[in-house]
Amino acid sequence: MLEASNVSAFYGDIQALWNISLAIHGGEIVTFIGSNGAGKSTIMKTIAGLVKPKGGNIVFEGIRLDRLPAHKIVELGISMVPEGRRLFPEMTVLENLEVGASTRAASRLRYSNVNWIHELFPILKERSKQVAGTLSGGEQQMLAIGRALMAQPKLLLIDEMSLGLSPIVVERILQVIQEVNRTKKLTIALVEQDVGIALSVADRGYIIEHGRIVVEGDTKLLQGDGRLMEAYLGVDLKGKTE
Amino acid sequence: MEMFTQTIAYGILVGAMYGLITLGLGLLMGVMKFLNVAHGTFIVLGGYVSYWLFTRYGLNPYLSIPLVIVVMFLIGLVVYKVTLSPLLKLPSVGNRLNSSMLITFGIIYVMDNLMTIFWKPDVRSIVAPFTGRSLEFLGTKLSITGLCGFAVAIVVAVALYFVLGRTQFGKHVRAATQDAEAASLCGINVHRTYLISSGIAIALAGVAGVIIVSSYSISPNSGLRWLLVAFVVMILAGEGNIHAIVPAGLVLGLLEAVGVFIVGAPYRQVVALVIFIVILIFRPQGLFRKRRLTYG
Repeated sequence: MLEASNVSAFYGDIQALWNISLAIHGGEIVTFIGSNGAGKSTIMKTIAGLVKPKGGNIVFEGIRLDRLPAHKIVELGISMVPEGRRLFPEMTVLENLEVGASTRAASRLRYSNVNWIHELFPILKERSKQVAGTLSGGEQQMLAIGRALMAQPKLLLIDEMSLGLSPIVVERILQVIQEVNRTKKLTIALVEQDVGIALSVADRGYIIEHGRIVVEGDTKLLQGDGRLMEAYLGVDLKGKTE
Repeated sequence: MEMFTQTIAYGILVGAMYGLITLGLGLLMGVMKFLNVAHGTFIVLGGYVSYWLFTRYGLNPYLSIPLVIVVMFLIGLVVYKVTLSPLLKLPSVGNRLNSSMLITFGIIYVMDNLMTIFWKPDVRSIVAPFTGRSLEFLGTKLSITGLCGFAVAIVVAVALYFVLGRTQFGKHVRAATQDAEAASLCGINVHRTYLISSGIAIALAGVAGVIIVSSYSISPNSGLRWLLVAFVVMILAGEGNIHAIVPAGLVLGLLEAVGVFIVGAPYRQVVALVIFIVILIFRPQGLFRKRRLTYG
């Protein structure tokens, strides 16, 4: 579905990604794990068009993405839930959802999609008229995911989903993500700091270090390889994080 | 007592016009953080377009407003494309604001001279059959041009608030204002949103120009006078608080009228500037409260 080959990206003079090659297959949940500053989020931003790669190319369903502006990439069917939610704090919950459906194709389905999001996250229906800045952290993350789904994506990128949220809320959101993946055949790429969460939901994982992919494989294999987990992620053999 | 109601009525009519001349300035500032120092000059240009249509084709200035809007909107698109859009590459909002002031300051000189070439440096105003006539209402005299200006101001402000508040385009503008990057992730073409907002901002200046050339007069360099008024109103409203602009205009109009009533007409501009300074000292965030919310 999406293929990136030899992608390099920079922030100013600092190279953040070194010749990254990866593939995301239709229908799967794939995760990018690694320590802080390893470049996981940069991979997401590069796919979404917020960071322009200096080298390499990214192809999504036969179309090259790496020269397109972010809003065009949304039109092609890739939505991103950015790190820190990035809601429109002075707009209501409903308006945030509506803005999510800004592409021509998505705006036609706006009303039915709002209903669908309300079914997925009933709390957002209750809070419809409330200003987004007044929501709790978990509700904000639900709204951010809802807003991204409003664009009718084929591929959903979620950056740092669990950051700052309580385990119960994370559990709830993960259930919805898996449900959408199953029922709508939506492909999902997840960046997670919490390795336990990432490996529990994903089918496949990439371990990123210093802007390079060091290991790639089935999550079951990754989990089974204790030395690997310990070496790259600081997880001991019983699977607990430090 | 009659003098006083007259003063209040005058203050309301002038105040609505003050709001009108500030809308375009406030829109550019609120949405893109561009401080358009040439705003007054665009007002004058709008006035000339209306003046030209009146002297050439005898078109009633208030009926010329749609044409002025079209012309000024297109000029706004060009101004954004050529001079303002490159500033979006600047790293910080502060840089953007400072550079926009310098660039629009340059625009004043170019436009001043072009307008002098086209229309001579003379003071111009539209003298129509209704100019100088007034209606009497409960013992209060209201000039027809003042009433028309008031009506235009209210209609334009309501239309702008409707567009920003209720339409899909308005939602895109507000989203881009609050977080441009997140807006682009929602599929919004932020540059296009800015482009159209700039067109609207300059068109709003043009409408204000029609009112001014009908009620007052214009010359190529008279933009500064209106720019100063617009600055005061924008500060009163609170920066970025577009909805408070017309109420703020009314406040300034009333305060000025009452001030003039007390100290005399020669001090009109002094009164406005004293209000300006007092506001900057005691309420630099503006008179009106804005919902300012942060992430939880």
